[in-house]
Amino acid sequence: MVSEKRTQELIRGLQEAVLGFDEEAAVELSKAALEEGVEPYDAIMQGLAVGMDKAGELYDKKEYFVPELLLCSDALYAGLGILQSHVEFAETKAKGQVVIGVVEGDIHDIGKNLVKVMFVAAGWTVHDLGRDVQLSRFTEEQARTGSDIVAISALTTTTMLAMQEAVKIVKARTPGIPVMVGGAPLTWEIATLYRADGYAPNAVGAVLEADRLLKKT
Amino acid sequence: MQNIVTSTERVSTILSGQKVDRVPFWPFILGFCARNVGYPIGTIYSDPEKSFWAQLWTQEQYGYDGYPIYGYASYGSWEFGGQVKLPSSEWEQAPSIVQFPVDSEDGVDRLKLPHLEKAGMLPLAMAFSKISQEAGIPTSTVVLGGPFTISGNLCKVEMLCRWMRKKPELTHSVLRLATEHIVDVVRRWTSTFGIEHFMPQIWEPLASNQIISPKQFETFVLPYHKEVHERILDIGVEHILCHICGEQNLNLPYWAQIPMGDPGIVSFGHEVELSTAMKYFGDTCIIAGNIQPALIQQGTRDQVYEQCRIAIEKAKYSPRGFILMAGCEVPPMAPPHNLYMMKQAIDDFGWYS
Repeated sequence: MVSEKRTQELIRGLQEAVLGFDEEAAVELSKAALEEGVEPYDAIMQGLAVGMDKAGELYDKKEYFVPELLLCSDALYAGLGILQSHVEFAETKAKGQVVIGVVEGDIHDIGKNLVKVMFVAAGWTVHDLGRDVQLSRFTEEQARTGSDIVAISALTTTTMLAMQEAVKIVKARTPGIPVMVGGAPLTWEIATLYRADGYAPNAVGAVLEADRLLKKT
Repeated sequence: MQNIVTSTERVSTILSGQKVDRVPFWPFILGFCARNVGYPIGTIYSDPEKSFWAQLWTQEQYGYDGYPIYGYASYGSWEFGGQVKLPSSEWEQAPSIVQFPVDSEDGVDRLKLPHLEKAGMLPLAMAFSKISQEAGIPTSTVVLGGPFTISGNLCKVEMLCRWMRKKPELTHSVLRLATEHIVDVVRRWTSTFGIEHFMPQIWEPLASNQIISPKQFETFVLPYHKEVHERILDIGVEHILCHICGEQNLNLPYWAQIPMGDPGIVSFGHEVELSTAMKYFGDTCIIAGNIQPALIQQGTRDQVYEQCRIAIEKAKYSPRGFILMAGCEVPPMAPPHNLYMMKQAIDDFGWYS
């Protein structure tokens, strides 16, 4: 049976592996956690995910930028690759489910991918539709998965208009499902104009916004 | 045609350092022009003849200034062996990359400088410039990207970002090629049209602080930009139009070290306050900007007019001059009346006494 001290050591190590974008360490420490009897869910949520949270804080403070977040996410996923399959009843422990995608006509997905990793780190189940997603797919996927929230991204002014249509379609089919939007040309005012329920200016803010929306439903 | 000549002369006049009668209004407008005359948006990029005349007719209709331009933000990918897709659906506004030339570390070694007469959009751009010359436009302007944005178009910006931290030598290899390519294109255009008849447009959206840090800018953008601008100016080009796209406030002290010509034109998005732009560039460059494209698309006529009024009154007396411009491409789907309101604001507030 692993001691509390060793558990904390491994968990801190996982945090640092993510924060220091050390994929090898994330893999080694994840394997060690499994072998030594650390609860896999704790290794993920207190180790890897907290590391990603801290990366998000550094991004907010403008100490980390996209290159660092990408590498932190690589370390996170490397650790998840070892631990995730050992977590029992994963979905019942999920904070929520979110459908996410880049709207039709738009192939810029770097922002969406960072939002996705923040959701994963925060314990959400993410249904990623990818990019250039046909407008009707958002509501179809929400219906298929029973997701709590739909998150739509766009990077150009023209695809913003597609986003407006996608929000309309989701609202028409499932008026109770919150829709949040994001992307470089968006603002809170435009999100409101589009009748979206939520908006986040960056990946870190997206999870906080989703938490807020989840509490309201 | 007289109005058009007057409109192009206004930009030429401000570039020559002489006083102009009013603030030039050069919208930064592409796909909108195609829709305006009934062409598909893609023709702005695929058909040099239609692109040129769509832009010129729209300019004549709205009475704005400047020169027709050719190019797009994904430049570099096709030229170096990748594939781009022209906008075709109702939601697409510009060419997008469907296959990057580099998809792995090994791919960097296989990159070769493009054939300037055959590669990618270059034959189309050359045809556009020749049509422009024949129509009497004094200056040809073509979008060449910038070293960092071209690099991101060669190997996907996420890969570039990872290499910046883990394998910087790969990033530098790609940046070196992008730099050489830009200079090659400038040489070709100046030898074809003359140094006085070409103004390269350098766009750097991928260098914004929405993606990279100022420290990363200093390492990976500044040295290549300095070099490319210096070499362009050494060829004899007098003015560079540099579109400093997006959130770039933390990069401005570095941008200010990059020569743009005498003067250059530096254009900004709404993310950079015009007063800040003037502080860094006012003595050396014509300031251009910074009307938010999303506002042009979604805003009311009064909102657009007001934002233009504020911009004009803030920057009108910038030492080397000011050009009212959208902060990035005027959205193709913007209500036409909002473009008219931008011109109204110029007519109401842009004249110099």
